[in-house]
Amino acid sequence: MKNSIRLSSKDMINAYLLFFVIHSAQVGVGIQGFQRIIYQDAKHDAWISVLVAGLATHIVAFCMIKTLEVYGSNDLYGIQQDIFGIWIGNFLNALYVVYCFIAFFSVLRNYIEVIQAWIFPNLGTWFLSATLLLIIIYAFTGGLRVVVGVSFFSVILALWIFPMLIFPMKFSSSEALFPILETNLSSIFKGAQSMTFTIIGFEILNVIYPFIKEKKKVKKYVHLGLLATTIIYLSVMMVSITYYSEGKLLKTIWATLTLFSFISFPFMERFEFVAVCFWMLIILPNLCLYLWAAYRGTIRLVKISGTKFVWIFSLLIFIGTLIVQTRTQINSINTHFGQIAFYIVFIYPIFLFMITMLKKKITSRKG
Amino acid sequence: MKFKLPFNKKQTPIIVEESIVDGKMITPSKDGFIQQIKDATNNPFDLIIKSIPPNITIIYIDNLVKDQTLNEHIISNLQNKHNETPETIKGALSIPEVDIYGQLEKTIESIIHGSVLIHLDGYPQAVIANITTRESRSLAAPENESQVIGAQVGFNESLSTNISLIRRYIASSDLCNEKFTIGKRTNTSVALLYMNGIANDQMINSLRQRITSLELDALIDSAVLSEMIDDNSLSVFPQMLLTERPDRFCDGLLNGKIGLIVDGSSMAIICPQSFVEFFQSQEDQNLRWHIATFARLLRFTAILLSVFLTPIYVGALTFHYEVIPQAFLVPLSESRALVPFPPVFEALLLEFIIELLREAGARLPTKIGQTIGIVGGIVIGTAAVQAGITSNILLIFVALSALASFTTPSYMMGNVIRLIRFPIIILAGFWGFYGIMLAFCFILIHLLRQSSMGAPYLSPFYPPRLKDMRNSIIRMPIPFTAKRPALTRPTNEEKFDPKPIKPEKS
Repeated sequence: MKNSIRLSSKDMINAYLLFFVIHSAQVGVGIQGFQRIIYQDAKHDAWISVLVAGLATHIVAFCMIKTLEVYGSNDLYGIQQDIFGIWIGNFLNALYVVYCFIAFFSVLRNYIEVIQAWIFPNLGTWFLSATLLLIIIYAFTGGLRVVVGVSFFSVILALWIFPMLIFPMKFSSSEALFPILETNLSSIFKGAQSMTFTIIGFEILNVIYPFIKEKKKVKKYVHLGLLATTIIYLSVMMVSITYYSEGKLLKTIWATLTLFSFISFPFMERFEFVAVCFWMLIILPNLCLYLWAAYRGTIRLVKISGTKFVWIFSLLIFIGTLIVQTRTQINSINTHFGQIAFYIVFIYPIFLFMITMLKKKITSRKG
Repeated sequence: MKFKLPFNKKQTPIIVEESIVDGKMITPSKDGFIQQIKDATNNPFDLIIKSIPPNITIIYIDNLVKDQTLNEHIISNLQNKHNETPETIKGALSIPEVDIYGQLEKTIESIIHGSVLIHLDGYPQAVIANITTRESRSLAAPENESQVIGAQVGFNESLSTNISLIRRYIASSDLCNEKFTIGKRTNTSVALLYMNGIANDQMINSLRQRITSLELDALIDSAVLSEMIDDNSLSVFPQMLLTERPDRFCDGLLNGKIGLIVDGSSMAIICPQSFVEFFQSQEDQNLRWHIATFARLLRFTAILLSVFLTPIYVGALTFHYEVIPQAFLVPLSESRALVPFPPVFEALLLEFIIELLREAGARLPTKIGQTIGIVGGIVIGTAAVQAGITSNILLIFVALSALASFTTPSYMMGNVIRLIRFPIIILAGFWGFYGIMLAFCFILIHLLRQSSMGAPYLSPFYPPRLKDMRNSIIRMPIPFTAKRPALTRPTNEEKFDPKPIKPEKS
């Protein structure tokens, strides 16, 4: 196969780190308020939608890995060039880079929005975006090792937030979940589709695959990572449905943060203030990984050094965050991005998988 | 080595004027030889020239040679005897290190280091007898790294004493000792020590290469050397450990690390060193594992407190009143009622005072230093609160974080902990918890980017090495830590066979 990536083992990462990469790439800003969006469609069966979406990620990841395995050591960009030829392939690569750009932008803009809404209403967007971008540039210029390290610590250091769900559980009633499957199936599927924005991120696998040392173990750790994400989303959803009354949940934009708001310790109240700030560590790998994926795609198209690329990229993002100002704009970006991402992340890999298999059959017959 | 500052680019290597001795040979005649030596050494007044009839001249520098050996083994052996050639003199001397050189350069070098030159009139060679003695203080307890349980001896400033201390701990032929000379003007001896068969060859080579490529004018202390050969000299975090404990040094060698000892410095360098290991004390190995684990966890809590407690206070009081519990809000506002400054200024002021006290205490003689501590702690603290400059609660926080920063076993790392607090306080004063989180992420990424001799700085946490975590912020019982840490990439991983030595229960 053409364009395969050769790396020395020094630049590669161990397969088990993929668990952290996949998991941290998925969990980000979406989890702060995905409940309302799913609930609009699937009502109190929203947790089934989450399960369906989780299942879908496993299927898609399975197809992705199968596609990548055909090529041995290559990423999505190389595969597209190989299958569709250099022109269409590069066009698709460019689209994928744009996709990473928008994903990065939407994560960043949403986080800035959360900070402004919850803690600092007067802090300028430009300041928040500039500081976050500087941190990300610093991480990115350290190379993949540092980016993966950030993912790792993001997962490990954020573990303590998960048990915080016990606090609202005291006030929840399980009756809210019944009767199960009251909503019709199409609504549940629609809810699952709305999960897209929250659950994407694992498509980073397409780009990071050649950097994994033991390719045989990839499957195991990717699926473990996806499973962990699904479990977390599921439990957050369950707690939210049982904790909020029906009308309340529909009106709460950041349901997860609101869940946190009454948690109190002897030394601390209003936990969500800490949580919102701490969320920076959780979105950091999101941003770093999308940036890195965009860089991997860009160097297939044009010759550019990492430093140059990251500054241009950051400048564009910075300008973008200044243009998109209002909540409605951000919301519409989220919705549109979610719809596009659904096709790119969930439909396209399966399509690509089929083409790859077809091509493999044809070439093997010829050979 | 990343010591490439932009302004260093055009710097030319240090040129020491080529002295007159280069390539010259020794003059056969007696007077010519004396004049040659006098010229080459700039005729110092402690240069002793002594003639022994009939044809021998002895030259040495006073205070550098052992007088007793000189009298008993050299002068008495040479007196009243007819010596024909330098070889016969060499045979006649009853001391171990004797050489014959013809080159003037080598002769000068050895007289500077404390040898006696014996010249026989008419021969273009000199016999060189090495009977060096160096003034050094006697061994004492390590003051900067004191321990309750463990050896009470520290390195001193003499290279040979330090090496003999190490050889006492490791009586093995695998202990390798290589000598380097650094400093164009000081000609400082540096010893590179490692265990053959344990230490990683690649790492030794890279360290060797870093030392030899170093172009320094003078090397006075090992701290300078460690800064020059660090992976990233611009980082605030030290990447090599400076220790004055021979037991810690030897423990490092036995774990596959590489050691450096600089003559004239009482601190030895150990590398590679991971971030976590800076917070470990050698005493942890000597205590029971439960107690050692407790001590390590205590230290880590102390570090977190030391770095983040004051910033959290500042952030919470400036922006996030909501986070403070109601019961706590009342005493807090009462104690702050009279304070005219914003919390960030108040905190910086108090931190500044504490640092001032620490610095004054470190510079002053011990007796006065204690007084300063008492004066500072009681008088300034109480007075500041009564005058309404600071609040009581902040005083507690600042004192606590200062105390916590002193629990770090490595003084170098303790300094870093104290320093990085200041930018975080300022960030917290401007942007609250968001600022603290920014600093936290920055430090995390910075630590992730560092390496020590090419080994990851955050090992064993990243890359995660479960086996090494047994001896990181906790210490598992010794049979569980039978493997050497992967940090040093040791050639031989097994320390011992982890079987209990207990007699079997029958």
